[in-house]
Amino acid sequence: MMFNPVLLIAIPLGLAFIAVIFKKIQKWILALGIIVNAVLVFFVEKGETAIGGFKIPFGISLVLDDFSAAGVILINILALAAIVIAFKKAEKFAPVILAGLAGMNGMILTGDLFNLFVFMEITAISAYILSSEGRKPAQSFNYLVIGSVGSVFYLLGLILLYNQTGTLNMVLMTEKTGFLEQTVLLLPVLLIFVGIAVEAKLLPMAGWVRGVLGNSNSYTGVMFASVYSSAALFVFGRIFSQVLVPGTTVGIVIITIALVTFAAGQASAFRSKSLRQVLLYSSIAQSGLAAALFATGFVFPAVLVVVNNAIGKLIMFSAAGSLEEKYGTDDYIGLGGAFNKNTLTGIAFTIAALSLTGLPLLFGFYAKLNVLAAYLNQGTFFVPAVVLLGTIVEGAYFIKILIKLWAPGKEGEWADADQSVGDKRIFSYTGTIAVILAAVLVVLSGLLPDTAGKLIAPEGGLLGDDGPAISLLIQKGGDQ
Amino acid sequence: MIKFASLLLIVIGLYGILSTRNVIKILVGINVMEIGINIFIIAIGFVNGGAAPILSVDNPGSLLKFVDPVAQALVLTSIVIGLGVTALGLVFARKIHKKHGTYDLSEIGGES
Amino acid sequence: MNLNLIIIITTAVALVAYLVSKVNDKAGAAMTVVGSLFALIAVFLLRDSIGTEITLLYFNFNLTVTGWYFALVMLMAYSMTAFFNPFWMKKLIYPAGYNFLYLLSMAGTLGVFFAKDFITLFVFWETVVWSSAFIIQMGKSRQAAYVYYVISAIGSMATLFAIMFAYGTTGTFVINDAFGGLAAYPGRAIVIFVTFIAAGMAKIGIFPFHVWLPFAHGSAPHTFSPVLSGGLVKMGAFVALLSVTAFPAYKIFGGMASFRGIPLPIYFMMALGAISIVVGTLMAIKQEDAKKLLAYSSVANGGYILIGLLMLDQVGFAGGLMHIVNHAVASAAAFLSIAAVAYRTGTTKMSEMGGMIHRMPITYVVYLIAIISMAGIPPMGGFVSKWLIFQGLADKGLLFIAATAFFGSIGSFLYVFRPLSAVFLGQTFTRDLNKKEVGVFMLFPMVVLTLLSLLTGIFPNIFLRVVTEIQTSLGVLPVTLAENTIVTNNGFLDAFKVFIVFGFGFAIAFVLFIARRKSRRVELMDTYTSAEFIHTRELLHYSHSFYAPFERLYEKAPDTMKLYHKAAVKISEIGNFAEAIFFGIKPARTVLLVMGTVLIGIIAGGVLS
Repeated sequence: MMFNPVLLIAIPLGLAFIAVIFKKIQKWILALGIIVNAVLVFFVEKGETAIGGFKIPFGISLVLDDFSAAGVILINILALAAIVIAFKKAEKFAPVILAGLAGMNGMILTGDLFNLFVFMEITAISAYILSSEGRKPAQSFNYLVIGSVGSVFYLLGLILLYNQTGTLNMVLMTEKTGFLEQTVLLLPVLLIFVGIAVEAKLLPMAGWVRGVLGNSNSYTGVMFASVYSSAALFVFGRIFSQVLVPGTTVGIVIITIALVTFAAGQASAFRSKSLRQVLLYSSIAQSGLAAALFATGFVFPAVLVVVNNAIGKLIMFSAAGSLEEKYGTDDYIGLGGAFNKNTLTGIAFTIAALSLTGLPLLFGFYAKLNVLAAYLNQGTFFVPAVVLLGTIVEGAYFIKILIKLWAPGKEGEWADADQSVGDKRIFSYTGTIAVILAAVLVVLSGLLPDTAGKLIAPEGGLLGDDGPAISLLIQKGGDQ
Repeated sequence: MIKFASLLLIVIGLYGILSTRNVIKILVGINVMEIGINIFIIAIGFVNGGAAPILSVDNPGSLLKFVDPVAQALVLTSIVIGLGVTALGLVFARKIHKKHGTYDLSEIGGES
Repeated sequence: MNLNLIIIITTAVALVAYLVSKVNDKAGAAMTVVGSLFALIAVFLLRDSIGTEITLLYFNFNLTVTGWYFALVMLMAYSMTAFFNPFWMKKLIYPAGYNFLYLLSMAGTLGVFFAKDFITLFVFWETVVWSSAFIIQMGKSRQAAYVYYVISAIGSMATLFAIMFAYGTTGTFVINDAFGGLAAYPGRAIVIFVTFIAAGMAKIGIFPFHVWLPFAHGSAPHTFSPVLSGGLVKMGAFVALLSVTAFPAYKIFGGMASFRGIPLPIYFMMALGAISIVVGTLMAIKQEDAKKLLAYSSVANGGYILIGLLMLDQVGFAGGLMHIVNHAVASAAAFLSIAAVAYRTGTTKMSEMGGMIHRMPITYVVYLIAIISMAGIPPMGGFVSKWLIFQGLADKGLLFIAATAFFGSIGSFLYVFRPLSAVFLGQTFTRDLNKKEVGVFMLFPMVVLTLLSLLTGIFPNIFLRVVTEIQTSLGVLPVTLAENTIVTNNGFLDAFKVFIVFGFGFAIAFVLFIARRKSRRVELMDTYTSAEFIHTRELLHYSHSFYAPFERLYEKAPDTMKLYHKAAVKISEIGNFAEAIFFGIKPARTVLLVMGTVLIGIIAGGVLS
């Protein structure tokens, strides 16, 4: 039994309105909507679905290929995990979350550029509202203004393209822009890039991130850092790897911005003392890396980076937010030994951090290998060098945090459990189970990377790229 | 001509956002930008001498020149979205005022 | 029993040890003994299956005699040290985690030594790095684990770059093929050689990567320092070995400028090894903490090993390989004996101990023999291997390196005897008067290692036969061995005869000692200076500022650690800068930046097209 993918958008959107009406039971509606979506996402029909009775390409269509399938599965599962970890924080935002989920599914699925704008705005509005949970209205306002300006830029770029090509359909747009001069495309593509980059967290468009993510709690942090940002990155990939493949000139500009984002993010994370700040800068860095990959056309490695970052940040941001709620600070210097009595949570956190750094036996290693191999197969050595330098810095700040949170104690004395900041539980039982499951997923997919790669890209490639840049199983028996 | 006037509106809106620290005025700037972009969209879809894109007794067939219906549909959606964002922005403005007693962002620099 | 089973079983035992430790940590620690001894015996029995290949998940192993040799050294360090584990459980914050990581890192080293392809090598390598980093943090310093990890990461990331670069060039991960195919690309080969060897250099502790050793060896749990110094450092030696054997450095760089037959890239690495010898020696002389002192001596000895391995010739190379065993045995024994003393006294600071020879005579002998081997004095193993390295250097006429090697040998006399005199000789502290020798369970590994030190010194050919096998398998002319004699171009060495001579001398001295054993014991404070009584014990202590005048000669020498600090500060500054520019509460700035981005993009696009 396969369902129409539009249900992924319609169900949460409908439930969002119902939740507004029935305020009393809205948390159950929220749970229902998220769970239904998380199950449904595995049973939707592949292919292109026309909406509203118009023939493709005249009407709006939804495109469910391997790429968007990976996207919606990731988003809906992460959304489920996020409410499992911190249901209490989520329940009062039921309509907002459901509308946001509908928006994100729409963003990833839609095959129409204006429709994409609409879904991006729905998602953005729900994000603005969630950010208000940080009780820093000026920061939310900052986010809103930057987001609005970004969307105006996006719209302007889109209309310029529409003027040139006469279509909003992604497939037709790809075809028609192919006939256009690079110089004509330069401005619209840059405007669209800037518009999407606000949500995809590329510098300098990500000025809102510190204010919003730095004040996130165990729920909103996860939503911003792994759910919203993954959705935005999938859109980024769709646009810049398939629809508007940047030519050399625009490509250089975009990739430079992305790599600067990567470097600046790692450096900023290195200097930060607050757990959430480290994590948010690391998110920015990972976004930069993924964007650089998408813009170069390495879709599969980019998706691996996005997935790895999303799962890692799910665990880490929820733990960071929870630590802040329990101890009133997330300055990791002051949280020495917080994992002492939270062994399972600590192990999950450690696995997430190590996977983000790209250490072997974990999923992140497979992602990192693919990133490096993709560039080296192409004969580019500069980017891998930058990535590896960034990895050293990344490893440095993560290991600093891990050591602090695991082993309290004065320098010159043995690590001592009595020096711990406290023994408060970081997660509820369900939350612990959720992060442990996420960590197990990271380990399993790291041990069986080729299987994981097959699950993400069953056809071997995404959006027409070469798929895995590297296969570990091919090496079996030493044959190439 | 209208196209350039609408682009000018967008620039004025941007200037408004850049030049003021007042929350409400920034919102006004955003709205000016949005009006600008909406007019721009309409202007793009405009066909000289075209009729409204509605089939009726007066406009029976495809022989007549229509203005682009897509652009008009886009603008409708875009206006609605702009409205929602503005409303939300005003809520945040109220919250800022409630918390800091001012609408001026430069007076509340301490919040991080 | 095959390699897969060994790795799987040790990993399984690690998990079981974790669970058992949750109930009873001593029982869990006992499992580390069982697990490591099992691995030692099982790997020893793998000798018959050398030459076979085997696959586990996506890991491919190739059982070479080189790997077998290294693995035995490693497992010896692990299994002997494991006997100490049960006694230190109370000190550890996570006993279960310690036992688990102990065995996991051990399983990881096996994968490194038997790796057939780079992926396998790197995966196991990194597993060892992070698991040992988490052990080190349980010791006396968090900073130590941090420094250890970061320096290792610098090395491993460079190596990963080399691996991927080689893969991009030759299209394969199989170590021999990937490196073998580089001959056609000499330009790339230099980059790959330099970056590949980086991880090895970082692990051995070659200058400028040596900064982590004093931190990590000095502050790790006392039961892990012997493994670090005796074992894990040798993983680096293995990578250095690969970079001249699997990577045919001499062949590829053969056409390049060379110095006395050594191509410059290799000579450069050897020079770094020589610098390490000097730096390690000078810094070891300065240390007040016995473990830190031994850590710096590991730096110096790592230099010898690197130089020996990089020569890849008949004699020096054999010396390098032999020194791996000798240093592993000696340094594990030395660290264990210091750990045993620390077990009784609770400190490793030399100025806080003294006269332990009266309380712990066997530990004293263990330490004595270990340092004799480390300093390269006959009749211990260290002498044989250093002799071989000297022979190799002399053959080639590498004067600068030979000079540093001699300097290191003489310098090592200066420092290895300091803990001996400070900790074991002199006056016993009143606090320590009631201390006893450690128990049999802890004495056992120390005695075994001591006997091994003697064995390598008296019958080095037992080990050198394996070395010749390695040399043959790598296509190097093997060192000439006669019945208990090593023959080189410049002469020959009959270690047994040397032992007889020394043994005879020792016997005479011992007889004299017994015959004239009538010295009067005085208390340390039973003295006066210029009619003044002294109340500060430390000032009268043997080792307090022992080499002060000598140290003053180089007290202004630059500290390498400052370099890393500076790099860290620079990165933070970039981070601060980015934060100050990009993140603020006012939207105007970001909007301006966004507009600027579009503008710059257009200009750049216009310029580029």
